[in-house]
Amino acid sequence: MINTVLYIIVVGLVIISLVAIIRAYYGPTVLDRMVAMNVITTNVVMIILMFAYIDRSFYYIDVAFVFVIGVFIGTLCILKLLREGHII
Amino acid sequence: MVLQYIAIIFLFGGFFFLLVGVVGLLRLPDVYTRMHAMGKCDTLGAGLMLIALMLLIGDLTNITKLLLIGVMIATINPIITHLIAKTAYNRGTPMAEGSFLINEYVASQRRRRREQVQTIKKGDESSK
Repeated sequence: MINTVLYIIVVGLVIISLVAIIRAYYGPTVLDRMVAMNVITTNVVMIILMFAYIDRSFYYIDVAFVFVIGVFIGTLCILKLLREGHII
Repeated sequence: MVLQYIAIIFLFGGFFFLLVGVVGLLRLPDVYTRMHAMGKCDTLGAGLMLIALMLLIGDLTNITKLLLIGVMIATINPIITHLIAKTAYNRGTPMAEGSFLINEYVASQRRRRREQVQTIKKGDESSK
């Protein structure tokens, strides 16, 4: 039963991410695309964690953690590029 | 078995909040309001889903890792939202129709400068 519910929620999260991609496509400025990317990041982390429980392979939790940190550094770099014009 | 039912309730609650955040992202008219929808609904939905997965997994090591992911999301989302708002304000991103801006810092600076000018003028008149 719990596996069925998890599959339903994973499919829902994929559909939500596709809806957020619409905003990333039509967004008037760069910052709209950044907001949409942040939403997609959270959804992908949740999908990875649910797959880790469905497959009983719990080392995917570390993968999700590294993913969160990597996206955080990438977003900070893009925002610094937008604010100051250079990264380093 | 009871834990699984509680976890299902938390899972659907988190899914509902993520859905509301994406609907706000799609429907709201402005960068700032879209950020308002993203920053709160996303954090709350992710937190509820992490609680549900903690109840499902039930192993101390993995619960600690999930708690660490929750803390990271709860600190990263406000930082990113704050930085995006600051960048949007500095770049002069246009707001939606009918919105207005109250800038307390610039207003207080102008008030202070006006008072300084008036005191200088008074000093000149008294010296004459």
